[in-house]
Amino acid sequence: MHRIRFFICALALVFTTGTQAQPNGQIRNSVVRITSTESEPDYRAPWNSGMIGRGVGAGFIIEGQRVMTNAHVVSNSRYLTVEREGDPNKYPATVQFVAHDCDLAVLQVENPNFWKTMKPLPFGAIPALESTVSAYGYPIGGERMSVTTGIVSRIDFNLYTHSAIDQHLAVQISAQINPGNSGGPVMQDQKVVGVAFQGYSGDVAQGVAYMIPTPVIRRFLKDIEDGQYDRYVDLGITYFKLQNPAQRHYLGLQDDDRGVLVGTVIQAGPCAKALQTGDVLLAIDGHRVASDAFVEYEGERVQMPEVVERKFKGETVKLDIWRNQQPMSVSITLGTVWPYFVQGHSYDIRPRYVLYAGLLFQPMSLDLLEAYRISELRVRHYFNNFVSDQIYLEHPEIIILTNILADPINTYLSPFRYDIVDEINGQKIGTLQDLARAFEQPADRFAIKMIGNGPPIVLDSKKVEEARERIKERYNVLVERNLDEQPPAKPAVADKSKI
Amino acid sequence: MRPQAIFLIALLAISPLVWAKKAPVAVKKLPATVKGAVQAKEVSLVRVNVSGQSYDYFRPWQKKAPFSKRALGAVLAHGQVLVTADLVVNQNYVELERAESGDKTAANVIVVDHEANLALLEPAEKEFLKGLQPLDLALDTVVGDKLSAWQLESTGALVVTEGIVTTIGITRYPADVADFLTYRMSIPMQYRDNSYTVPLVKNNKLAALLLRFDPRTQVMDAIPAPIIAHFLKDAASNSYQGFPSLGISFFPTRDPELRAYAGDTHKSAGVYITAVEPGFPAAKAGLAAGDIVTAVDEHEIDQNGNYVDDLYGKLGFGNLVTGKAYVGDSITLRILREGKPLTLKANLEHRSEDDYVIPPYNVDEPPTYYVLGGLIFQELTRQYLKEWGSNWEKDAPQDFVYLDKFQSELFPNARRKVVILSQVLPANSTIGYDDDSYLVVTKVNGTEIHSLGELAAAVKNPINGFHVIQTSDDPRQLELNAAEVEADAQALQKNYGLPALQRLQ
Repeated sequence: MHRIRFFICALALVFTTGTQAQPNGQIRNSVVRITSTESEPDYRAPWNSGMIGRGVGAGFIIEGQRVMTNAHVVSNSRYLTVEREGDPNKYPATVQFVAHDCDLAVLQVENPNFWKTMKPLPFGAIPALESTVSAYGYPIGGERMSVTTGIVSRIDFNLYTHSAIDQHLAVQISAQINPGNSGGPVMQDQKVVGVAFQGYSGDVAQGVAYMIPTPVIRRFLKDIEDGQYDRYVDLGITYFKLQNPAQRHYLGLQDDDRGVLVGTVIQAGPCAKALQTGDVLLAIDGHRVASDAFVEYEGERVQMPEVVERKFKGETVKLDIWRNQQPMSVSITLGTVWPYFVQGHSYDIRPRYVLYAGLLFQPMSLDLLEAYRISELRVRHYFNNFVSDQIYLEHPEIIILTNILADPINTYLSPFRYDIVDEINGQKIGTLQDLARAFEQPADRFAIKMIGNGPPIVLDSKKVEEARERIKERYNVLVERNLDEQPPAKPAVADKSKI
Repeated sequence: MRPQAIFLIALLAISPLVWAKKAPVAVKKLPATVKGAVQAKEVSLVRVNVSGQSYDYFRPWQKKAPFSKRALGAVLAHGQVLVTADLVVNQNYVELERAESGDKTAANVIVVDHEANLALLEPAEKEFLKGLQPLDLALDTVVGDKLSAWQLESTGALVVTEGIVTTIGITRYPADVADFLTYRMSIPMQYRDNSYTVPLVKNNKLAALLLRFDPRTQVMDAIPAPIIAHFLKDAASNSYQGFPSLGISFFPTRDPELRAYAGDTHKSAGVYITAVEPGFPAAKAGLAAGDIVTAVDEHEIDQNGNYVDDLYGKLGFGNLVTGKAYVGDSITLRILREGKPLTLKANLEHRSEDDYVIPPYNVDEPPTYYVLGGLIFQELTRQYLKEWGSNWEKDAPQDFVYLDKFQSELFPNARRKVVILSQVLPANSTIGYDDDSYLVVTKVNGTEIHSLGELAAAVKNPINGFHVIQTSDDPRQLELNAAEVEADAQALQKNYGLPALQRLQ
């Protein structure tokens, strides 16, 4: 079962600075090999503990006797060990903090022997374009540390594929990228300038690898200083360039190439009360917003979200806006926008479900859709438009009938597979909790109305009760429901995917 | 020589079924088999050559490159020729050709029904079909019967392939609006690209026309004679009405729990009505979602939605509406509402393509559009979505596909269309709007938009000199300078070669 799972989402890179023979010197005392035994949730049989797999990645020592690596190296892990160069021992490790939204994690190793010769690495700044960097790691699972080198090709916002919904600054480097390098340090002048984390498989693009730059790393380390990770914050709006002269005139703006137009304001986001569709954002924290959504920030021209990226949960941001031909200022207390999480991957959680009458009900999520390969138009529509159409306001969770464990009680119900639950006995079902509670109500019969034109699913509660043990036994269902996504006791996890 | 052999076998197989009294007639029609080579003259077929152009829904002011199709037509009484509607879709010119002599004449399309996929042609020269014996209809085909597909060699010789009717049921026809009676056959036919209209013949009578054929499995669906007869009867009247519909969707009541829920505790029959389209016959008759329909006229409906047909046995009850009834007929629905029996009377109507919010087929009509300063507005139609190719359900903008598929649910009661901002032609007035295509338009200049006509009217009232266009999705608003749009109109038209900036009906 040795599985190298870092192929698609993670590629680590190693580069040596070309001018010196031993530029990063004592690096072998700072880089570790991490082996993770993980249990991946099984959405198709959610009562099972999941599939056990093993993966290898890299990590490095940072200040405070900690090991830094990628979140995806340690996600869903049940058991972790770290190894040092030139030491035959494997040291058990635990996850102290993990940030799935920026693919970083910090590990602890209890054994004092491990720390004897280990040296923390200092962090540097964002490396300059075209400068050479070296990446260290254990590509394709090898036992000995590997080094590769390349140059900095591009510095830009990029999707972090681990969560599949987060965009942060990422640095593209031109190096050989291979699974198993993930989490390893990318060095320049004996300083860490990034953590190798993702790239493309060879048939898409070559010589394109990405590292997490130090502003993102520093933000993570600062966030966890208070003992918990609070995630990135977001404004929860969509905005559009204001380049059309007629549109600018209509809005009463000057021809000063300034401002972006607010499209959708996510009601679950921090701007819900303060902004509205059609507002123009003129400045953020005093930084002038150009009409192409760039701002001047610390002497550089960066994209507007960068300003928010550096902030933490509970901090405020001041927005200068233009509404109804008038300037206004609003102050926003930043926070996370939870409906987005449904559209991203989640880790270190147990799938939530309710099994009733052999009908398996599960809340919609990216992982669920991928596990079942659901292609039903309605489900895809609810998934894609969950945030933009604010579907979550009525259905904070989209409860899908994902499977039917065949039994005489549900023999006529197969046409309802992949339908979405709307109401049970006239009660709106917004969450899995609602559904579980509805089935607990005393009733002779449950009429489950699914979204769309169709008859209800009708269940006789007495007959369901009679079928219960039969179904459990026949399908080896250990537990009929899990409403709580917290995993059982395991290494400390500071990150939950639901507020 | 093989075709003739098959032809003979086919006739032999059928002859025992023929009444003795009619036998001489059959023999009279058979000299071809005696002579050897069968001539087209005897088999009542003509070639039909069609050239046409489909409309380009991405560039709605123009037509696509011309196509030509070649097929067969079945010669019927009154000097008319029957073909499938898909042959004459978007035709510019139709021509009939005598198979044996190669003589040609122009033809007119008299009636076309895209839902049933049938069309009737008439030659411009009345004498053109002289000498061809019109085909009668064979209305009595049942499962197990053998039908012969008639095709023509380039020489005019007849190619006959025999197949067997394996199933008779109601299926969805390609226009995707209704279910009609269909013969499903197993037949090893040579399928040619131009085989649009292939007549299927039984006992020298027209039993069906090819609807679709899968050469791999050799399974053919055919439009049966009873549907053709319905079409011809309707076509013979002064104004063609089309096939009737009730405007309902239903679900089987096999599940005893569902039956009990609907209040039916005794009987185990009927279908559960899941939706009734407002404004259509069933709704006007008072039928409601949640009712159980137990009988249509004198026919009991079983829990799967079948009645017992005199000829075919169990058959979907949709045939009682689309197959057996005509527009203007009234049918009786016996229903159970919360367990209580009721009788409703529905006066049948045809649901035309324009009665849909997103019309399922609108061929033969130029698409409407309105170009405003480079923004192209159109009404959403299935035909538009089909521009994304055969895989349009996956490839077309998914929000549009969703609106189309769930239109009756999303727009209940709505006599409206969906106006979209389809494309943006880059121009001075659309700078910065290049990516804003495939959006649903909600308001223009403050007025809610339910049709392109409403949009054209709203454009006459700019707000403070600006056209304000609001969309249901991001970016949610676009503005144009009305005076600038006006001033640039001619240049835009010239630059992109638009014959006109609008076409409204």
